[in-house]
This record gives sequence, structure tokens and C-alpha cells, in this order.
Amino acid sequence: MNWQGELNKYLASAYKNWIISKRNIFTIFELFFWPMISLLSIGLLTRFLKLDDSMISFLLVGSIALTILQVAQIDVAYVLLFDMWSKSIKNTFIAPVHSYHLIFGALLFGVVRGSIVFSILIIVSFYLFGFDFLAGGLLPVLIFLAGVYAMAAIIGITVCISILTFGQKADVAAWSLSGLILLVSGIYYPVDVLPLLLQKAAWAIPLTYFLEYYRTIFIPGPHHVVTGTILAAFYLILGLILFDRAIDRARRTGILLRLSE
Amino acid sequence: MIEKSVEAYGICKRYKRFSGAGATVLKNISLDIEVGEIFGLLGPNGSGKTTLISIFSTLIYPEEGSLSILGLDARRDRGEIRKIINISTAKPNFPWSLTVRENLRHYGMLYGLYGSVLSRTVEDQIDAFELGEFRDMKFEDLSTGIKQRLSLAKAMLNRPRLLFLDEPTTGLDPDISIKTRALIRRIHQEENIGVVLSTHYMPEAEMLCDRIAFLRKGEIVALDTPQNLKNHLGLGERIVVTYSGQADIEALENLPGVLGLKSKAGRVEIVIDRSEDSVDMIVKFFQGAKILDIKIEEPDLEDVFIELAR
Repeated sequence: MNWQGELNKYLASAYKNWIISKRNIFTIFELFFWPMISLLSIGLLTRFLKLDDSMISFLLVGSIALTILQVAQIDVAYVLLFDMWSKSIKNTFIAPVHSYHLIFGALLFGVVRGSIVFSILIIVSFYLFGFDFLAGGLLPVLIFLAGVYAMAAIIGITVCISILTFGQKADVAAWSLSGLILLVSGIYYPVDVLPLLLQKAAWAIPLTYFLEYYRTIFIPGPHHVVTGTILAAFYLILGLILFDRAIDRARRTGILLRLSE
Repeated sequence: MIEKSVEAYGICKRYKRFSGAGATVLKNISLDIEVGEIFGLLGPNGSGKTTLISIFSTLIYPEEGSLSILGLDARRDRGEIRKIINISTAKPNFPWSLTVRENLRHYGMLYGLYGSVLSRTVEDQIDAFELGEFRDMKFEDLSTGIKQRLSLAKAMLNRPRLLFLDEPTTGLDPDISIKTRALIRRIHQEENIGVVLSTHYMPEAEMLCDRIAFLRKGEIVALDTPQNLKNHLGLGERIVVTYSGQADIEALENLPGVLGLKSKAGRVEIVIDRSEDSVDMIVKFFQGAKILDIKIEEPDLEDVFIELAR
């Protein structure tokens, strides 16, 4: 098969997610309502607490990262969630596609949606709270976003694995996993305020390193973004291998059939 | 030159539960299906038809046994097999908010179609399955019959060499079922593709299939052409006599060749192993009565089904 046919196998998931999203009223909530509520509430909190610029940047970087992460990860998870909800999952898995076609196709759409949300949030945070997210230039922003999107893919893959392993009830993972990330990866507070065990968990999450890296633009200090990049690559590869295994297991146990009934 | 579209040997499938307990769904299934034939899988609900068709289409994997699809090893060459087969399932489901055209486009992309080939293939399937007036309707708004036609159209997107149809007329109105069967026959003839069809509708199997495997409790209990199945099971022909007056029905039971007899107020059903010579003999038993009607019926697959499902 030539490269165009191969490319279309990736784009198939993005196409499906795009059509479903544009007809879904909740897309407006996902792209505009909740991101704005999140940013405004954190921004107003910084005013109430009369925080200095460094603390404002610390919180707003965390808030923006979490919002983009949630938007992009749900798009990756939607690749199986939409199929599971419409009971059409076997039509996908009878086609000659691999796990990476599904994941990276859905991630592509997640990156587009995440980038739209990101653009809105940095404009709003600049005009309402005087926070210039782009102060460090384009390259750090691209590195930061790449880290957040990689994290979104890792969470999305984990949700997909959960669906194929535990069936329909696992869709709760799509919304709860990012909550765990919020707790331990230093979104709203530094990792060193966590109990020791959770600190160790935090440094096992790539997002922690990308947040640390981007915050050094506003609060100078050391960062370990290379470690974060290696971890992200490791988890992505591991995730895809485990996703393949989960598909294989679902074919052996018959979960693929049960998810279509 | 590939001669078999399916070669299965010793296929077993057991569904395990988290508790460790499990149910054996298929036991030691072995069969060959010739290239280009329409092969039927028949059996009551729970006999393992859907599981077997899902294994043949590589959707799920067997625990034991070897399977070859169109000459390709189902364990080693799954990716290649999926390129040249397709499936239409019972109670078809697709993403709800995608229209007919968008659904076909989406699945066409999953099969690696692109550009003008993708657009043309989607339009061809819309035309072939008479979906034109529904092209921009969302899947959730379609009737059951149109959903089934969409499912068949989707199954033809990659021009498969072997098509699996899992209970393609279940839940359809009779007139739509007839159209769907005609469609299946047309696909088979015009596209020259093999079809493996599961159903529990006897007329459907009798009308469409070259050969039939009967499944019961996960095992093949008979495999042959519809005609041979009827002959080999010795189900006999049925003579139905409607009469008025008195007839010696009890004596009829002792007549050579009578396999069974049911009698009810002026009507008697006699199952015999030969009809030609027996009719005259049977008529003699009604000398004291007036025969109002007499019919000779061949056994149908319904009878075979009832016999085998016992």
C-alpha cells in the first residue's frame, strides 16, 4: 500500500472524531466553557491571594497545561469510547489497522483541539491577568506542548487499554486519570510539598518534568526536560505495546464481541 | 491456485470469566469451504454460529486448532487476511452521528482507500445498495433495513474475496429480508466472491447456500448440501389428507414405510419414506370416507433443523 493509503488509516480516526465533535453540543463545553471556567477561577484566585508574578505564572502554567491535557487525552480515548458507546467496535477491529493508526490519528485531532484551546487561554490570560505565556519564545512553547500532548497520548492509551480489559465500566477512567495527574504532577503546587511516596510517583510522570521546564522561564531554576522526554518516549512505546497486547487479549477473551453487543 | 476459502481443523473456543470459570462455545470444529461457494452455518441460538464466524473473520482467536483463510495462515497472516475479507454483522452498529456517506468514508479510510478512489468507491456502494436517498441521514435515524444495507455496503468497501455475513436478515421485515437475500445472491454472482453466512432461518439457508453445517452446542452435527441433508436424515415426505366420514387411521400406522402419523378431527398427517407407491395404499384406507383434499409435501430444512436440534 502506498503512503497515501497508509496516511488515510491514521486520518480515519481524526475524521470520525471531527464529525462526531462538530455535531456534539458538549464540544462547546469541552473547548470553551470548562477551559474558561478553569482559567478564570485560578486567575481570580491569584488576585484574591494577591500573589506575585512568579506565583501567578506558576498557577496559570499549571492551569493551562491541565486544560490542554484534558482536551487532548479525551480525544485519544474517544477513538475507542465512541466505538464502544455505539457498539461498533468490531467494525474497527475487523479492518486492517494497527493500534498506532488509531492512537496517532485520534491524537492528531486532539492536538488540533488542544491547540485551539491553548490559543484561547493564552490570549485570555494575557488580557485578563497580564500573564504572557509566550515570554520565553516559540521553541520552549513547542517543547512544552509536545510534552503535554505526549502525556495526553499516554493517558488516552491507558483508557483504551482499560476499556479492552475491563469492558464498558472502564470509561470512567477517561475522566478520572487526569485527576490523578492533577494530584501528583505539580499542576498547582511544587512536587516537593507532596509526601515522599507521592513525590516518587510524581517524578515517574513525564508531565512533571515539562511543567518544571516551562516554569523556569518565569522562575529561574534547574530543569530535567531531557529526562521527561525520555520517560515520555518510553511510556508511549510501552503503551502501544500494551495496547496491542490488550487488543490481542480482547480477541482471545471475546471482550471485543461483548463490547459490540 | 487457492481452492479453499476456509480450512479449519480442530477449532475450540472457551470464554473464561474473571472467576476462572468458563464456558466452552466451540468444540473441535473442522471443515473446509470451497472458493466461491455460499456456505451456511445453521443452528439454534447459542450454538456457536457467531463465535465461529468471528473466528473465521479473525475478529477473535480460537484457543486451539488451525485455521487458513484463502490460503493464508490465520495466526501468522492476520493483517493480510483482513485486507481481503470483510464482515456484516447481525444488528449492525456504526457511529451514531455519522451519516451513511460519512460512515462509508470513515471505514473506507480504515481500509486504506484515499483520494478519488475513496470517493468513487463510497459512491459506488451507495448506488449498489440503493442508499442514495439516505446518504445524508445519520445512522441513528435509519430504519433497521437501511442499517443492514449500510452494513453490507461497508462490507464491500474493500472488494473482499470472502464475505462473512452474521445473521444478515435478523430483525428485518419479511419484504426487506427478501430484498436482502436477493442482494446477497447478486453480490455473490456479480462480484464472484465466497460467502459464509450464519442464520437460523431455514428458508434463507435453503435458498442461498450451496452447503450447510449444522451446529448444536458448539459442535457440527451435520454438514452437506441442503438436499442431501434432507435425504440423509430420512425425514420422509409428508402426506396430508383431509377427509369426512370414517377411516381406519389406527391401521394406517402399521402400513410399511409409515414413519409417523398425527391425526386430528378429519385431518391426518402421515410421514412416509417413499411417496410414489404409498399414496395408492393410503387412499385405500379412506374407502369408507370422503377425501376432501390430499397433499404431498417434501421435508424442508425446518424439519432437518428440528431433527438435528433434538
